[in-house]
Amino acid sequence: MNLPDSDFLPAPLWLITSLHVLTLSLHFAAMNFVLGGILIILTGKSDRRWDNPAVRRVIALLPSAMAATVTLGVAPLLFLQLVYPLQMYPASIVSAWFFLLIIPAVILVYYLLYAAAFAAKGGKPAGGRYLWPALLGLFYVSLVYSSVFSMAEHPDLMRRLYAQGQGGFQWNPAAGDYAFRWLHMVLGALTVGGFFSGVLGGEDAAVFSAGKKIFAYGMAAAGTAGLAYLFSLGDLLGPLMRSPAIWALTVGIVLSLGSLHLYFKRRFLLAGAALFTSLLLMVITRHALRLLMLHQSFDPASWRVAPQWAAFLIFLLSLEVAVILVVYMLRLFFSFSGPDLKMPVRER
Amino acid sequence: MRYPFWELQTGYGVLIAAVAILHVFISHFAIGGGLFLVVNERAARKAGDADRLTFLQRLSKLFVLVSLVTGALTGVGIWFCIGLLNPAAVAVLIHNFVWMWATEWTLFVVEIMAAILYFYGWKHMAPADHMKLGWIYFWAAWLSLFVINGIITFMLTPGAWLATGRLFDGFFNPTFWPSLVMRSAVCVMLAGLYALLVAARTKPGESKARIVRQTAWWGICGLAAALPSLYWYWKSIPAAVTAAAVQGLPTPVAAMHFSYWFAGVMAVLLVAFGLIAPGRLRVPVAVVLMAAGLGWFGSFEWFREAVRKPYIIVGYMYGNGVELGNAGMYKTDGYLSHIVYRSGDDGADLFRHACRSCHTMTGYKALKPAFDGTDRAFITAIVRGAHLLKGNMPPFLGTAGEADAIAAHIEKDLDRRPMSAIYGLQGLALGQKVFEMRCGKCHPMGGRGDKTNSLTGLTREDYGNLLDNAADMGVGMPAFTGDRVEREALIDYFMTLKAGGGK
Repeated sequence: MNLPDSDFLPAPLWLITSLHVLTLSLHFAAMNFVLGGILIILTGKSDRRWDNPAVRRVIALLPSAMAATVTLGVAPLLFLQLVYPLQMYPASIVSAWFFLLIIPAVILVYYLLYAAAFAAKGGKPAGGRYLWPALLGLFYVSLVYSSVFSMAEHPDLMRRLYAQGQGGFQWNPAAGDYAFRWLHMVLGALTVGGFFSGVLGGEDAAVFSAGKKIFAYGMAAAGTAGLAYLFSLGDLLGPLMRSPAIWALTVGIVLSLGSLHLYFKRRFLLAGAALFTSLLLMVITRHALRLLMLHQSFDPASWRVAPQWAAFLIFLLSLEVAVILVVYMLRLFFSFSGPDLKMPVRER
Repeated sequence: MRYPFWELQTGYGVLIAAVAILHVFISHFAIGGGLFLVVNERAARKAGDADRLTFLQRLSKLFVLVSLVTGALTGVGIWFCIGLLNPAAVAVLIHNFVWMWATEWTLFVVEIMAAILYFYGWKHMAPADHMKLGWIYFWAAWLSLFVINGIITFMLTPGAWLATGRLFDGFFNPTFWPSLVMRSAVCVMLAGLYALLVAARTKPGESKARIVRQTAWWGICGLAAALPSLYWYWKSIPAAVTAAAVQGLPTPVAAMHFSYWFAGVMAVLLVAFGLIAPGRLRVPVAVVLMAAGLGWFGSFEWFREAVRKPYIIVGYMYGNGVELGNAGMYKTDGYLSHIVYRSGDDGADLFRHACRSCHTMTGYKALKPAFDGTDRAFITAIVRGAHLLKGNMPPFLGTAGEADAIAAHIEKDLDRRPMSAIYGLQGLALGQKVFEMRCGKCHPMGGRGDKTNSLTGLTREDYGNLLDNAADMGVGMPAFTGDRVEREALIDYFMTLKAGGGK
């Protein structure tokens, strides 16, 4: 029967990979704000922190940041499934229940963040009751993703785990593969959270100082975890260091340190740009590592390419319109003449 | 066969249906609700109706909490579910429609941003700017329906794509427009139903009656437009598909017919509590309206999913993920050599890839009660002739040896005693049971597809010969392998059959 062959890429691989890397970096930026913001608020020492305008502003922004995290997470997963279906689907099926539970977990986190934001708006402390379970939910989601995506790079492991059980209850036992990676991600989120908390509370010396500390120490800790992850790669470390990814990694580290310097000088916009670029370069390094891990079992360049340029143009056009509309809507929103949006400090 | 099979202890359809029906019930409200909010805001501001504006603010809170959180995430949930349950089909959709999905994603970004700003902007924005956000939201949301509608309808009616493989042939397929019109109408209807839930909680008074009446019209107009467009949709599906559904899928077809009662309930309640006595609308009535709306739309979605059987993508891929284009290859090589993820039990692996996407052994669409009292040879023949069975089953394309391996796997869990012992039956009652178990799977009696006539008018001896030579009647016709008591009871039962259907 002569039916269409669906085993193809509808655009050159480099284009899809670029879109994947870009959208994944945007997703990480939003996710880091949520995770890092919650971590910082919850681990803050002062009991009076709930009254701090910067804290209240972060809490008010959490639901929107969560919406951005979810929305920006859709595109990279789509592009990943396009190029790596033979890795992504099996890994998620082997751990199906853990993977599927991400959805109720995220719904719960989302509602908890809304509850925290409404509570803060109403002048109530939003700490333990809402943010701790939300943090646990986010840890769960990030851990499952780390475990599943790491498993996807090991076809033999997936086959072995599937042979052991087909019910979707198999957890990736190779914790060494993803524990440091996960820790690096969490500490990276803490770093970005520190950056944002300093930016949002820039006018308050105490908040800025705290943000500065978290940003600096967080970066050192994330760097250490990243280094530990690199050393945990074993035989793959050599090829990675000899690949072009070494440039991305090096420039990424330099830009991270540069963002710290710019942040200390209160040049937030430049610091943010440097930080995001460094995040982007880390994602590129991570992608290069995936290719190295898979090189014996799968080469993404082996896909037949049958470009759908007309459809791609529609996407490009709608992306352009979307960006314009988002900027336009934000301008409309922030050009209001009504009462100040900043939430009042709870009266004591 | 390239992907592992998730051994879920329920039918795949149940999980998909649970997530999908919840999602569509919210996501259609997310579109219609956007239109409802901005149209009503415009009218309320023009009329200086402060009560209506307060009502709309309350509705927008529900709107954001329900549509942005549960609506958006159940959408991701469907994607996760189908990726876990039928990755082969999702891979086909993603490779063909990734740019349409990516386009939908850009609309989704706009939609989410607009919804958040609209919700937070009630008290902080100039009315004209606020309404601009509302319109941007609505058009982004509706366009996302436009895009996803092309992919959903493709699965039922891929149309010319099957021959050309061209993206837009698949996207603008035969049911694209009727489905889009019908879903747009449903969006309007659900906007009315959700808004009535909020309106029902308004304090009694003149303004409540006014708000309820205005809102009820949305439900009525949406319902009135949805019903004829549903008919248009049905008529746009190729006749072969609808005929097969009507013939082989009595349950979803009956559910679809039953759903008209839900539509009737909605119409009556909308007129009674929306137009005649709007001041009397209370929360329980609004909840019943919502339940009726869910019942009606849920039945349609279930029907839409079921009517595709035996395909997941009509004419391209069967529900168990077997591609029609690879039929020749499977017939030659069998399935087993193409199954990448193996459990070490060949029969179980074959069962998973051939049968398990719809059937369990003891739970959903259970096979144990369908085969208890039969034997391996009988099951093998049934597997090989699966496409001849009731219920629009996909064909088994593997080898005879693989069919036997599946039968052996199924047989392990069966009660192998004679049917007379299992069911405690004798005589005609036993004969009827034997008929149900051994013949009725392909020879339904009564109703649509009745094949009674093919079994009537023979002598006892002829029936005996029929059973003795059944295996010679081609693949799919099993030999009669029951014991002597079952054979005699079955012949007794045959003798009672009359032409024209049933006994």
